[in-house]
Amino acid sequence: MPQTAPNTEKLDEHLLEVVRALHAAVKQGVSHKDDPKIMATAIKDCKEILDVIMEGNVQEWLN
Amino acid sequence: MFTDKIELKDFDKMDPEYKELLGHVLTIQADCEIGGPHLYVETMLPAAPTKLDQLIVARTAAEEIDHFRKIARVAGDIGVDVSFVLSQPNQQRFVDTFRGLITTWEDNAVFGFLIDRVGRYQLEEFYDCSYLPLQRILPDIVTEELGHIEYGYNKTLELVQSGDEEKAKAQKVVDYWYVRALDMFGHTGSKRSERYRYWGLKRRSNEQARQDYMNEVGPILTQMGLKIPDPNQGRRYL
Repeated sequence: MPQTAPNTEKLDEHLLEVVRALHAAVKQGVSHKDDPKIMATAIKDCKEILDVIMEGNVQEWLN
Repeated sequence: MFTDKIELKDFDKMDPEYKELLGHVLTIQADCEIGGPHLYVETMLPAAPTKLDQLIVARTAAEEIDHFRKIARVAGDIGVDVSFVLSQPNQQRFVDTFRGLITTWEDNAVFGFLIDRVGRYQLEEFYDCSYLPLQRILPDIVTEELGHIEYGYNKTLELVQSGDEEKAKAQKVVDYWYVRALDMFGHTGSKRSERYRYWGLKRRSNEQARQDYMNEVGPILTQMGLKIPDPNQGRRYL
């Protein structure tokens, strides 16, 4: 078997959590699309999560 | 031509060229998956026309991040660390198309319609490929890409149907992205592309995949009432 690259498992787990959190926030907003307050909160939550991913500080996520 | 099917446990026994090509194509694919969100999240998440569209931007980004994760896992399992692309500046992306920033909603719509469609083509190259762990992750990824393409198409069509001014804007944006889409298939006669096919990692030559794309997109543009841009104007990789 080949040697697995460092942090493969940890990164996979972390990103899976991120993706699940994003989908949960989107679902919350979409299912309350007539409630501006819930929509705004969902968008804010998505932005906060995505900002961290866009910064790309992988070592910070994994430590 | 290599026709065997390879599992992770067989990877160590493979020819060094196979290992190099598989590692390379996975790195580029991972870069393209995360390259999309880096083009539009910062600008389009706050600027999408409705709150629902804002959430769809977030959902699209979530799906692309998940595609990155799946590709990164396949790469990581063969010892190729692609995590560096998560912090890579846009200007250093492997593919030119991802080296800018999307700043208008029109661009965001056409990007989904035309560029995510190239993404689908790239992924379809791996259908029935020789590396089974890669083949296995494709169906879900391609299904989600089809959703991005459809959303992009619908938003582009909305623009086209919103009056002459909006239609002219849409045409201008299509002209911009269409040649970039064609360039994404790479050089005609590429030797590397030939080696990918030899090892069963890809199905078509760059020029064949590009031609298939043009054959698909041309009639859609015409049906939408848009002109098919000159496929040679502004091209970098012929």
